[in-house]
Amino acid sequence: MNAPSPTPTKKYDLSFARWVYDNIDGGDRMALCMQCGTCSGSCPIGTQMDHGPRKLFMMIRAGMKEAVLTSNTLWNCVSCYNCVVRCPRKVPVAYILHDLATVAVREGYAEARNSDNARFAKAFWWSAAKYGRTDERLVTGKYYFSFGIGEGYKRGMANLPIAMGMIKTKRMHLGMPHKCSNTGELHKILAKAAEIEARDHGKQG
Amino acid sequence: MTKTMSYYPGCSSQASAVHLDTSLRAVMGKLGVQLRDVEDWNCCGASVGHIEGGHLGQAALSGRNLANAQAAGDEDFVTPCAACYLNSHYTNEKIRENPTVKAQVNEALAEAGKSYDGGLHVRHACEVIVNDIGMDKVKDQVTNPLTGMKIAGWVGCQTVRPFAKTDRGGMWETYDDPSFLDDFVTACGAEAVPFKGKTKCCGGSVSVMSPDKTLHLMKDILDEVKTSGAEAVVTPCPLCQTNLEMYQPEINKKFGTDFNFPVLFYSQLMAVAFGLEAKTDAALHQHLIPPVSLLSRAK
Ligand code: SF4
Ligand code: SF4
Ligand code: SF4
Ligand code: SF4
Repeated sequence: MNAPSPTPTKKYDLSFARWVYDNIDGGDRMALCMQCGTCSGSCPIGTQMDHGPRKLFMMIRAGMKEAVLTSNTLWNCVSCYNCVVRCPRKVPVAYILHDLATVAVREGYAEARNSDNARFAKAFWWSAAKYGRTDERLVTGKYYFSFGIGEGYKRGMANLPIAMGMIKTKRMHLGMPHKCSNTGELHKILAKAAEIEARDHGKQG
Repeated sequence: MTKTMSYYPGCSSQASAVHLDTSLRAVMGKLGVQLRDVEDWNCCGASVGHIEGGHLGQAALSGRNLANAQAAGDEDFVTPCAACYLNSHYTNEKIRENPTVKAQVNEALAEAGKSYDGGLHVRHACEVIVNDIGMDKVKDQVTNPLTGMKIAGWVGCQTVRPFAKTDRGGMWETYDDPSFLDDFVTACGAEAVPFKGKTKCCGGSVSVMSPDKTLHLMKDILDEVKTSGAEAVVTPCPLCQTNLEMYQPEINKKFGTDFNFPVLFYSQLMAVAFGLEAKTDAALHQHLIPPVSLLSRAK
Protein backbone atom coordinates (compact mmCIF):
# COMPACT_ATOMS: atom_id res chain seq x y z
CA MET A 1 0.00 0.00 0.00
CA ASN A 2 2.86 2.35 -0.65
CA ALA A 3 1.33 3.89 -3.71
CA PRO A 4 -0.48 7.03 -2.68
CA SER A 5 -4.20 6.51 -2.78
CA PRO A 6 -6.21 8.37 -5.44
CA THR A 7 -7.95 11.57 -4.42
CA PRO A 8 -11.55 11.70 -5.61
CA THR A 9 -12.41 14.82 -7.56
CA LYS A 10 -16.15 14.76 -7.21
CA LYS A 11 -18.70 13.49 -4.71
CA TYR A 12 -19.32 9.74 -4.78
CA ASP A 13 -16.23 9.21 -6.88
CA LEU A 14 -15.43 5.58 -6.04
CA SER A 15 -11.73 5.70 -6.85
CA PHE A 16 -10.62 5.97 -3.21
CA ALA A 17 -13.12 3.35 -2.06
CA ARG A 18 -11.89 0.95 -4.74
CA TRP A 19 -8.32 1.61 -3.71
CA VAL A 20 -9.24 0.77 -0.11
CA TYR A 21 -10.96 -2.46 -1.21
CA ASP A 22 -7.80 -3.51 -3.05
CA ASN A 23 -5.01 -2.23 -0.84
CA ILE A 24 -6.16 -2.36 2.75
CA ASP A 25 -6.05 -5.47 4.89
CA GLY A 26 -9.67 -6.62 5.00
CA GLY A 27 -10.71 -3.90 2.57
CA ASP A 28 -12.34 -6.41 0.27
CA ARG A 29 -14.75 -7.31 3.07
CA MET A 30 -15.48 -3.67 3.74
CA ALA A 31 -17.38 -3.67 0.48
CA LEU A 32 -19.96 -5.87 2.25
CA CYS A 33 -20.63 -3.40 5.07
CA MET A 34 -24.38 -2.90 5.41
CA GLN A 35 -24.15 0.14 7.69
CA CYS A 36 -25.85 -1.58 10.62
CA GLY A 37 -23.78 0.30 13.20
CA THR A 38 -22.96 -2.73 15.36
CA CYS A 39 -19.28 -1.78 15.25
CA SER A 40 -19.77 1.79 16.42
CA GLY A 41 -22.30 0.66 19.00
CA SER A 42 -19.82 -1.87 20.46
CA CYS A 43 -16.93 0.54 20.59
CA PRO A 44 -15.80 1.46 24.10
CA ILE A 45 -14.33 4.70 22.85
CA GLY A 46 -16.91 5.54 20.19
CA THR A 47 -18.08 8.68 21.95
CA GLN A 48 -14.54 10.06 21.72
CA MET A 49 -14.30 9.45 17.98
CA ASP A 50 -15.21 12.18 15.52
CA HIS A 51 -16.76 9.44 13.38
CA GLY A 52 -17.37 5.87 14.48
CA PRO A 53 -16.24 3.07 12.16
CA ARG A 54 -19.66 2.75 10.50
CA LYS A 55 -19.69 6.38 9.47
CA LEU A 56 -16.06 6.26 8.42
CA PHE A 57 -16.82 3.42 6.04
CA MET A 58 -19.67 5.40 4.56
CA MET A 59 -17.34 8.35 4.11
CA ILE A 60 -14.89 6.13 2.25
CA ARG A 61 -17.64 5.20 -0.17
CA ALA A 62 -18.61 8.83 -0.50
CA GLY A 63 -15.07 9.63 -1.61
CA MET A 64 -14.25 11.77 1.45
CA LYS A 65 -10.62 10.74 1.48
CA GLU A 66 -9.16 13.67 3.35
CA ALA A 67 -11.80 13.63 6.08
CA VAL A 68 -11.19 9.90 6.52
CA LEU A 69 -7.42 10.11 6.71
CA THR A 70 -7.46 13.06 9.11
CA SER A 71 -10.13 11.52 11.33
CA ASN A 72 -9.25 10.77 14.97
CA THR A 73 -11.15 7.48 14.64
CA LEU A 74 -7.91 5.98 13.36
CA TRP A 75 -6.09 7.06 16.51
CA ASN A 76 -8.63 6.57 19.23
CA CYS A 77 -9.25 2.91 18.47
CA VAL A 78 -8.01 0.97 21.49
CA SER A 79 -7.83 -2.37 19.65
CA CYS A 80 -10.42 -4.18 21.76
CA TYR A 81 -11.69 -6.13 18.71
CA ASN A 82 -15.34 -5.94 19.79
CA CYS A 83 -16.21 -4.69 16.32
CA VAL A 84 -14.33 -7.50 14.60
CA VAL A 85 -16.09 -10.30 16.44
CA ARG A 86 -19.54 -8.69 16.35
CA CYS A 87 -19.83 -7.46 12.77
CA PRO A 88 -22.61 -9.48 11.13
CA ARG A 89 -20.87 -9.19 7.77
CA LYS A 90 -17.49 -10.30 9.13
CA VAL A 91 -15.83 -7.03 8.20
CA PRO A 92 -12.48 -6.94 10.06
CA VAL A 93 -13.17 -3.39 11.22
CA ALA A 94 -10.19 -2.82 13.52
CA TYR A 95 -7.71 -4.17 10.97
CA ILE A 96 -9.06 -1.74 8.40
CA LEU A 97 -8.71 1.18 10.83
CA HIS A 98 -5.14 0.15 11.65
CA ASP A 99 -4.18 -0.02 8.00
CA LEU A 100 -5.84 3.30 7.25
CA ALA A 101 -3.75 4.79 10.07
CA THR A 102 -0.60 3.58 8.33
CA VAL A 103 -1.81 5.11 5.06
CA ALA A 104 -2.58 8.44 6.73
CA VAL A 105 0.93 8.63 8.18
CA ARG A 106 2.61 7.60 4.95
CA GLU A 107 0.65 10.08 2.90
CA GLY A 108 1.81 12.80 5.24
CA TYR A 109 -1.39 14.14 6.80
CA ALA A 110 -0.35 16.43 9.64
CA GLU A 111 -3.21 15.25 11.90
CA ALA A 112 -1.92 11.72 11.50
CA ARG A 113 1.77 12.48 11.85
CA ASN A 114 1.26 14.60 14.94
CA SER A 115 -1.03 12.13 16.65
CA ASP A 116 0.15 10.56 19.89
CA ASN A 117 -0.09 7.15 18.23
CA ALA A 118 2.13 8.01 15.27
CA ARG A 119 4.75 9.47 17.62
CA PHE A 120 4.52 6.49 19.92
CA ALA A 121 4.64 4.06 16.99
CA LYS A 122 7.77 5.73 15.72
CA ALA A 123 9.54 5.36 19.05
CA PHE A 124 8.26 1.80 19.43
CA TRP A 125 9.34 0.67 15.98
CA TRP A 126 12.74 2.28 16.43
CA SER A 127 13.36 0.10 19.49
CA ALA A 128 11.80 -3.06 18.05
CA ALA A 129 13.65 -2.82 14.75
CA LYS A 130 16.99 -1.67 16.13
CA TYR A 131 17.28 -3.94 19.17
CA GLY A 132 14.74 -6.62 18.32
CA ARG A 133 13.09 -5.86 21.66
CA THR A 134 11.06 -2.95 22.92
CA ASP A 135 12.60 -1.29 25.89
CA GLU A 136 9.75 0.44 27.69
CA ARG A 137 12.07 3.09 29.18
CA LEU A 138 13.56 4.11 25.87
CA VAL A 139 10.26 4.00 24.03
CA THR A 140 8.43 6.22 26.52
CA GLY A 141 11.41 8.57 26.79
CA LYS A 142 11.68 8.96 23.04
CA TYR A 143 7.93 9.36 22.74
CA TYR A 144 7.74 12.07 25.42
CA PHE A 145 10.57 14.07 23.87
CA SER A 146 9.00 13.86 20.41
CA PHE A 147 6.77 16.69 21.69
CA GLY A 148 9.82 18.90 22.32
CA ILE A 149 12.12 19.32 25.29
CA GLY A 150 9.73 21.26 27.51
CA GLU A 151 6.76 18.97 26.98
CA GLY A 152 8.99 15.90 27.16
CA TYR A 153 10.29 17.01 30.53
CA LYS A 154 6.77 17.74 31.75
CA ARG A 155 5.45 14.35 30.70
CA GLY A 156 8.49 12.61 32.13
CA MET A 157 8.01 14.32 35.48
CA ALA A 158 4.31 13.50 35.53
CA ASN A 159 5.18 9.88 34.95
CA LEU A 160 8.01 9.83 37.49
CA PRO A 161 6.11 8.21 40.38
CA ILE A 162 5.11 5.32 38.15
CA ALA A 163 8.64 4.95 36.77
CA MET A 164 10.11 4.96 40.28
CA GLY A 165 7.63 2.31 41.35
CA MET A 166 8.52 0.17 38.35
CA ILE A 167 12.23 0.47 39.11
CA LYS A 168 11.68 -0.36 42.76
CA THR A 169 9.70 -3.48 41.90
CA LYS A 170 12.30 -4.49 39.30
CA ARG A 171 9.92 -4.11 36.38
CA MET A 172 12.10 -1.49 34.77
CA HIS A 173 15.85 -1.94 34.64
CA LEU A 174 18.58 0.65 34.56
CA GLY A 175 21.30 -0.97 32.45
CA MET A 176 21.76 -1.38 28.72
CA PRO A 177 18.64 -2.02 26.62
CA HIS A 178 17.51 -5.61 26.20
CA LYS A 179 18.26 -6.84 22.71
CA CYS A 180 18.35 -9.87 20.47
CA SER A 181 21.77 -11.35 19.94
CA ASN A 182 21.43 -11.47 16.17
CA THR A 183 20.21 -7.96 15.43
CA GLY A 184 22.12 -7.89 12.13
CA GLU A 185 19.97 -10.69 10.83
CA LEU A 186 16.79 -8.95 11.95
CA HIS A 187 17.84 -5.71 10.25
CA LYS A 188 18.33 -7.56 6.96
CA ILE A 189 14.91 -9.21 7.20
CA LEU A 190 13.15 -5.94 7.98
CA ALA A 191 14.95 -4.03 5.22
CA LYS A 192 13.88 -6.68 2.76
CA ALA A 193 10.31 -6.61 4.05
CA ALA A 194 10.16 -2.85 3.45
CA GLU A 195 11.58 -3.31 -0.04
CA ILE A 196 9.03 -6.00 -0.91
CA GLU A 197 6.16 -3.93 0.43
CA ALA A 198 7.18 -1.01 -1.78
CA ARG A 199 7.57 -3.29 -4.78
CA ASP A 200 4.39 -5.35 -4.41
CA HIS A 201 1.89 -2.72 -3.34
CA GLY A 202 -1.64 -3.52 -4.35
CA LYS A 203 -1.15 -7.27 -4.10
CA GLN A 204 -3.66 -8.47 -1.56
CA GLY A 205 -1.79 -9.35 1.57
CA MET B 1 5.02 -37.07 31.98
CA THR B 2 6.61 -33.95 30.66
CA LYS B 3 5.60 -32.29 27.45
CA THR B 4 7.81 -29.76 25.67
CA MET B 5 6.43 -26.62 24.06
CA SER B 6 8.02 -23.70 22.27
CA TYR B 7 7.80 -20.58 24.41
CA TYR B 8 7.65 -17.00 23.22
CA PRO B 9 7.74 -14.79 26.32
CA GLY B 10 7.57 -11.37 24.61
CA CYS B 11 9.32 -8.15 25.58
CA SER B 12 7.15 -7.49 28.61
CA SER B 13 8.59 -10.66 30.18
CA GLN B 14 11.83 -8.74 30.67
CA ALA B 15 10.24 -5.59 32.02
CA SER B 16 6.75 -4.63 33.18
CA ALA B 17 5.45 -8.21 33.31
CA VAL B 18 8.48 -10.06 34.60
CA HIS B 19 6.25 -11.36 37.42
CA LEU B 20 4.03 -13.09 34.83
CA ASP B 21 7.04 -14.77 33.25
CA THR B 22 8.52 -15.93 36.55
CA SER B 23 5.28 -17.33 37.94
CA LEU B 24 4.17 -18.95 34.69
CA ARG B 25 7.48 -20.77 34.27
CA ALA B 26 7.22 -22.01 37.85
CA VAL B 27 3.68 -23.38 37.50
CA MET B 28 4.19 -24.84 34.04
CA GLY B 29 6.99 -26.97 35.47
CA LYS B 30 4.56 -28.26 38.12
CA LEU B 31 1.95 -28.95 35.45
CA GLY B 32 4.34 -31.07 33.42
CA VAL B 33 5.14 -28.64 30.62
CA GLN B 34 8.71 -27.93 29.71
CA LEU B 35 8.95 -24.49 28.08
CA ARG B 36 11.69 -24.23 25.51
CA ASP B 37 12.36 -20.57 24.69
CA VAL B 38 12.24 -19.58 21.04
CA GLU B 39 15.82 -19.01 20.01
CA ASP B 40 16.74 -15.30 20.01
CA TRP B 41 13.07 -14.21 19.80
CA ASN B 42 12.22 -10.63 18.85
CA CYS B 43 9.40 -8.19 19.57
CA CYS B 44 6.11 -8.85 17.75
CA GLY B 45 5.37 -5.16 17.07
CA ALA B 46 2.38 -5.05 19.45
CA SER B 47 -0.59 -2.96 18.31
CA VAL B 48 1.44 -0.12 16.78
CA GLY B 49 4.27 -1.75 14.77
CA HIS B 50 2.40 -1.56 11.48
CA ILE B 51 2.12 2.24 11.61
CA GLU B 52 5.83 2.76 11.20
CA GLY B 53 7.03 -0.62 10.01
CA GLY B 54 4.20 -1.40 7.60
CA HIS B 55 2.18 -4.51 7.25
CA LEU B 56 4.93 -6.69 5.97
CA GLY B 57 7.45 -5.40 8.51
CA GLN B 58 5.03 -6.38 11.24
CA ALA B 59 4.50 -9.81 9.66
CA ALA B 60 8.25 -10.30 9.27
CA LEU B 61 8.74 -9.81 13.03
CA SER B 62 6.38 -12.66 13.87
CA GLY B 63 7.69 -14.58 10.85
CA ARG B 64 11.21 -14.65 12.27
CA ASN B 65 9.96 -15.88 15.66
CA LEU B 66 7.90 -18.62 14.05
CA ALA B 67 10.79 -19.64 11.78
CA ASN B 68 13.16 -19.88 14.73
CA ALA B 69 10.63 -21.95 16.65
CA GLN B 70 10.04 -24.30 13.76
CA ALA B 71 13.76 -24.79 13.26
CA ALA B 72 13.87 -26.20 16.80
CA GLY B 73 10.90 -28.52 16.36
CA ASP B 74 7.22 -28.85 15.58
CA GLU B 75 5.97 -28.35 19.12
CA ASP B 76 3.24 -25.76 19.62
CA PHE B 77 4.25 -22.11 19.88
CA VAL B 78 2.98 -20.81 23.23
CA THR B 79 2.86 -17.24 24.47
CA PRO B 80 1.46 -15.71 27.66
CA CYS B 81 0.97 -12.21 26.22
CA ALA B 82 -2.35 -11.22 24.64
CA ALA B 83 -0.79 -8.94 22.04
CA CYS B 84 1.97 -11.40 21.18
CA TYR B 85 -0.69 -14.07 20.80
CA LEU B 86 -2.76 -11.87 18.52
CA ASN B 87 0.15 -10.92 16.29
CA SER B 88 1.75 -14.35 16.11
CA HIS B 89 -1.57 -16.07 15.53
CA TYR B 90 -2.63 -13.55 12.90
CA THR B 91 0.63 -13.76 10.95
CA ASN B 92 0.64 -17.53 11.23
CA GLU B 93 -2.86 -17.76 9.74
CA LYS B 94 -1.96 -15.35 6.97
CA ILE B 95 1.12 -17.36 6.04
CA ARG B 96 -0.92 -20.53 6.09
CA GLU B 97 -3.87 -19.20 4.10
CA ASN B 98 -2.52 -16.49 1.83
CA PRO B 99 0.11 -17.59 -0.70
CA THR B 100 1.12 -13.99 -1.45
CA VAL B 101 1.88 -13.24 2.19
CA LYS B 102 3.64 -16.56 2.58
CA ALA B 103 5.90 -15.79 -0.39
CA GLN B 104 6.57 -12.24 0.78
CA VAL B 105 7.44 -13.18 4.37
CA ASN B 106 9.64 -16.01 3.16
CA GLU B 107 11.42 -13.75 0.70
CA ALA B 108 12.28 -11.46 3.63
CA LEU B 109 13.29 -14.36 5.89
CA ALA B 110 15.52 -15.76 3.14
CA GLU B 111 17.80 -12.75 3.70
CA ALA B 112 18.83 -14.53 6.88
CA GLY B 113 18.68 -18.04 5.43
CA LYS B 114 15.39 -18.76 7.21
CA SER B 115 11.99 -19.96 6.12
CA TYR B 116 8.60 -20.71 7.61
CA ASP B 117 5.73 -22.71 6.13
CA GLY B 118 2.83 -21.85 8.47
CA GLY B 119 2.86 -25.32 9.99
CA LEU B 120 3.11 -24.49 13.69
CA HIS B 121 0.16 -24.05 16.02
CA VAL B 122 0.11 -20.78 17.93
CA ARG B 123 -1.41 -21.08 21.40
CA HIS B 124 -2.15 -18.87 24.36
CA ALA B 125 -0.69 -20.18 27.62
CA CYS B 126 -4.12 -20.09 29.32
CA GLU B 127 -5.67 -22.08 26.57
CA VAL B 128 -2.92 -24.70 26.80
CA ILE B 129 -3.60 -25.14 30.50
CA VAL B 130 -7.37 -25.27 30.01
CA ASN B 131 -7.42 -27.63 27.03
CA ASP B 132 -4.23 -29.68 27.07
CA ILE B 133 -3.49 -29.94 30.76
CA GLY B 134 -6.96 -29.58 32.21
CA MET B 135 -8.32 -27.95 35.33
CA ASP B 136 -8.27 -31.26 37.18
CA LYS B 137 -4.47 -31.31 36.97
CA VAL B 138 -4.42 -27.75 38.27
CA LYS B 139 -6.60 -28.79 41.22
CA ASP B 140 -4.35 -31.79 41.88
CA GLN B 141 -1.40 -29.47 42.42
CA VAL B 142 -3.14 -27.27 44.98
CA THR B 143 -1.66 -27.84 48.43
CA ASN B 144 -2.30 -24.38 49.83
CA PRO B 145 -5.86 -23.42 48.84
CA LEU B 146 -6.63 -19.71 48.84
CA THR B 147 -9.71 -20.20 50.99
CA GLY B 148 -11.73 -17.07 51.67
CA MET B 149 -10.10 -14.86 49.03
CA LYS B 150 -12.62 -13.05 46.84
CA ILE B 151 -11.30 -12.41 43.36
CA ALA B 152 -12.64 -10.71 40.23
CA GLY B 153 -11.49 -12.42 37.04
CA TRP B 154 -10.73 -9.77 34.44
CA VAL B 155 -9.85 -11.31 31.09
CA GLY B 156 -9.48 -8.09 29.11
CA CYS B 157 -9.96 -8.11 25.37
CA GLN B 158 -7.15 -9.51 23.27
CA THR B 159 -6.84 -12.81 25.11
CA VAL B 160 -10.21 -13.80 23.65
CA ARG B 161 -10.66 -11.31 20.79
CA PRO B 162 -10.46 -11.69 17.92
CA PHE B 163 -9.21 -15.27 18.42
CA ALA B 164 -11.46 -17.21 20.77
CA LYS B 165 -11.01 -19.99 18.23
CA THR B 166 -7.97 -22.10 18.91
CA ASP B 167 -5.33 -22.94 16.37
CA ARG B 168 -6.11 -26.61 17.03
CA GLY B 169 -9.78 -26.21 16.14
CA GLY B 170 -12.91 -25.26 18.03
CA MET B 171 -13.58 -22.41 20.40
CA TRP B 172 -11.85 -22.30 23.74
CA GLU B 173 -13.93 -19.46 25.06
CA THR B 174 -16.62 -16.93 24.28
CA TYR B 175 -15.84 -13.40 23.16
CA ASP B 176 -17.93 -11.66 25.78
CA ASP B 177 -18.28 -13.80 28.86
CA PRO B 178 -15.33 -16.16 29.15
CA SER B 179 -15.33 -18.44 32.18
CA PHE B 180 -11.79 -19.84 32.17
CA LEU B 181 -10.37 -17.27 34.55
CA ASP B 182 -13.06 -18.00 37.13
CA ASP B 183 -12.18 -21.67 36.78
CA PHE B 184 -8.56 -20.90 37.65
CA VAL B 185 -9.68 -18.88 40.67
CA THR B 186 -11.91 -21.63 42.01
CA ALA B 187 -9.37 -24.34 41.22
CA CYS B 188 -6.97 -22.43 43.48
CA GLY B 189 -9.52 -22.54 46.28
CA ALA B 190 -10.54 -18.88 46.14
CA GLU B 191 -13.97 -17.46 45.41
CA ALA B 192 -14.63 -16.11 41.90
CA VAL B 193 -17.06 -13.26 42.53
CA PRO B 194 -19.61 -12.38 39.83
CA PHE B 195 -17.92 -9.63 37.85
CA LYS B 196 -19.48 -7.74 34.99
CA GLY B 197 -16.35 -6.18 33.55
CA LYS B 198 -14.80 -9.44 32.35
CA THR B 199 -13.85 -8.39 28.85
CA LYS B 200 -13.93 -4.64 29.25
CA CYS B 201 -11.04 -2.86 27.65
CA CYS B 202 -8.49 -0.84 29.62
CA GLY B 203 -7.39 1.19 26.61
CA GLY B 204 -4.36 -0.96 25.82
CA SER B 205 -1.47 0.91 24.30
CA VAL B 206 -3.55 4.09 24.02
CA SER B 207 -3.52 4.10 27.83
CA VAL B 208 0.26 3.95 27.74
CA MET B 209 0.62 6.88 25.35
CA SER B 210 -2.43 9.03 26.18
CA PRO B 211 -3.91 8.01 29.54
CA ASP B 212 -6.12 11.13 29.57
CA LYS B 213 -8.19 9.52 26.82
CA THR B 214 -8.76 6.25 28.65
CA LEU B 215 -8.61 6.66 32.44
CA HIS B 216 -12.41 6.53 32.48
CA LEU B 217 -12.32 3.06 30.85
CA MET B 218 -10.16 1.77 33.68
CA LYS B 219 -12.33 3.54 36.23
CA ASP B 220 -15.35 1.65 34.86
CA ILE B 221 -13.53 -1.64 35.36
CA LEU B 222 -12.51 -0.69 38.90
CA ASP B 223 -16.08 0.40 39.72
CA GLU B 224 -17.23 -3.08 38.69
CA VAL B 225 -14.52 -4.63 40.85
CA LYS B 226 -15.73 -2.63 43.80
CA THR B 227 -19.36 -3.59 43.21
CA SER B 228 -18.37 -7.24 42.95
CA GLY B 229 -16.99 -7.28 46.48
CA ALA B 230 -13.62 -8.62 45.34
CA GLU B 231 -10.45 -7.81 47.24
CA ALA B 232 -8.21 -8.28 44.21
CA VAL B 233 -8.32 -8.59 40.44
CA VAL B 234 -6.73 -11.39 38.47
CA THR B 235 -5.84 -11.21 34.78
CA PRO B 236 -3.85 -13.18 32.21
CA CYS B 237 -2.69 -10.13 30.21
CA PRO B 238 0.62 -8.34 30.85
CA LEU B 239 -0.57 -4.94 29.71
CA CYS B 240 -3.91 -5.27 31.50
CA GLN B 241 -2.03 -5.90 34.73
CA THR B 242 0.31 -2.96 34.31
CA ASN B 243 -2.33 -0.48 33.17
CA LEU B 244 -4.93 -1.30 35.80
CA GLU B 245 -2.36 -1.28 38.57
CA MET B 246 -0.23 1.71 37.73
CA TYR B 247 -3.05 4.12 36.94
CA GLN B 248 -5.05 3.67 40.14
CA PRO B 249 -3.45 6.70 41.86
CA GLU B 250 -4.20 8.88 38.83
CA ILE B 251 -7.74 7.58 38.57
CA ASN B 252 -8.26 8.37 42.25
CA LYS B 253 -6.95 11.86 41.69
CA LYS B 254 -9.10 12.49 38.64
CA PHE B 255 -12.37 10.94 39.84
CA GLY B 256 -12.10 11.28 43.62
CA THR B 257 -12.18 7.50 44.13
CA ASP B 258 -10.14 5.48 46.61
CA PHE B 259 -9.20 2.38 44.62
CA ASN B 260 -6.29 0.33 45.86
CA PHE B 261 -6.91 -3.11 44.36
CA PRO B 262 -4.00 -5.47 43.84
CA VAL B 263 -3.95 -6.76 40.24
CA LEU B 264 -2.53 -10.27 40.00
CA PHE B 265 -1.71 -12.77 37.31
CA TYR B 266 -3.54 -16.11 37.27
CA SER B 267 -0.13 -17.75 37.32
CA GLN B 268 0.71 -16.03 40.61
CA LEU B 269 -2.48 -17.40 42.17
CA MET B 270 -1.51 -20.87 41.05
CA ALA B 271 2.05 -20.47 42.29
CA VAL B 272 0.83 -19.60 45.79
CA ALA B 273 -1.87 -22.28 45.76
CA PHE B 274 0.69 -24.87 44.61
CA GLY B 275 2.75 -24.00 47.69
CA LEU B 276 5.60 -22.51 45.69
CA GLU B 277 7.88 -19.80 47.00
CA ALA B 278 6.36 -16.30 47.39
CA LYS B 279 9.25 -14.37 45.91
CA THR B 280 11.24 -16.56 43.56
CA ASP B 281 8.23 -18.41 42.11
CA ALA B 282 5.13 -16.23 42.63
CA ALA B 283 7.04 -12.92 42.31
CA LEU B 284 4.62 -11.27 44.72
CA HIS B 285 7.13 -8.55 45.61
CA GLN B 286 6.84 -7.04 42.13
CA HIS B 287 3.57 -5.19 42.57
CA LEU B 288 3.06 -1.46 42.83
CA ILE B 289 0.02 -2.26 44.98
CA PRO B 290 1.16 -5.07 47.29
CA PRO B 291 -1.19 -8.08 47.27
CA VAL B 292 -1.38 -8.18 51.06
CA SER B 293 -3.87 -10.99 51.50
CA LEU B 294 -2.20 -13.27 48.96
CA LEU B 295 1.17 -12.55 50.57
CA SER B 296 -0.19 -13.56 53.96
CA ARG B 297 -1.22 -16.92 52.51
CA ALA B 298 2.05 -17.57 50.66
CA LYS B 299 4.81 -19.89 51.76
S1 SF4 C 1 -20.77 -3.86 12.09
FE1 SF4 C 1 -19.98 -4.47 10.10
S2 SF4 C 1 -21.72 -4.28 8.70
FE2 SF4 C 1 -22.26 -3.19 10.58
S3 SF4 C 1 -21.65 -1.08 10.16
FE3 SF4 C 1 -19.92 -2.02 11.17
S4 SF4 C 1 -18.64 -2.81 9.51
FE4 SF4 C 1 -20.63 -2.35 8.64
S1 SF4 D 1 -11.30 -2.34 17.95
FE1 SF4 D 1 -11.25 -0.13 17.87
S2 SF4 D 1 -12.93 0.46 16.57
FE2 SF4 D 1 -13.25 -1.66 17.12
S3 SF4 D 1 -14.63 -1.52 18.86
FE3 SF4 D 1 -12.55 -1.62 19.67
S4 SF4 D 1 -11.90 0.49 19.90
FE4 SF4 D 1 -13.72 0.49 18.62
S1 SF4 E 1 3.19 -7.70 22.76
FE1 SF4 E 1 4.46 -6.13 23.19
S2 SF4 E 1 5.87 -6.74 24.57
FE2 SF4 E 1 4.86 -8.55 23.76
S3 SF4 E 1 6.65 -9.01 22.28
FE3 SF4 E 1 4.86 -8.13 21.44
S4 SF4 E 1 5.58 -6.06 21.32
FE4 SF4 E 1 6.93 -6.95 22.61
S1 SF4 F 1 -7.76 -5.06 28.46
FE1 SF4 F 1 -6.26 -3.63 27.87
S2 SF4 F 1 -4.25 -4.56 27.92
FE2 SF4 F 1 -5.78 -6.13 28.13
S3 SF4 F 1 -6.06 -6.91 26.12
FE3 SF4 F 1 -7.55 -5.24 26.32
S4 SF4 F 1 -6.50 -3.44 25.69
FE4 SF4 F 1 -4.98 -5.02 25.95
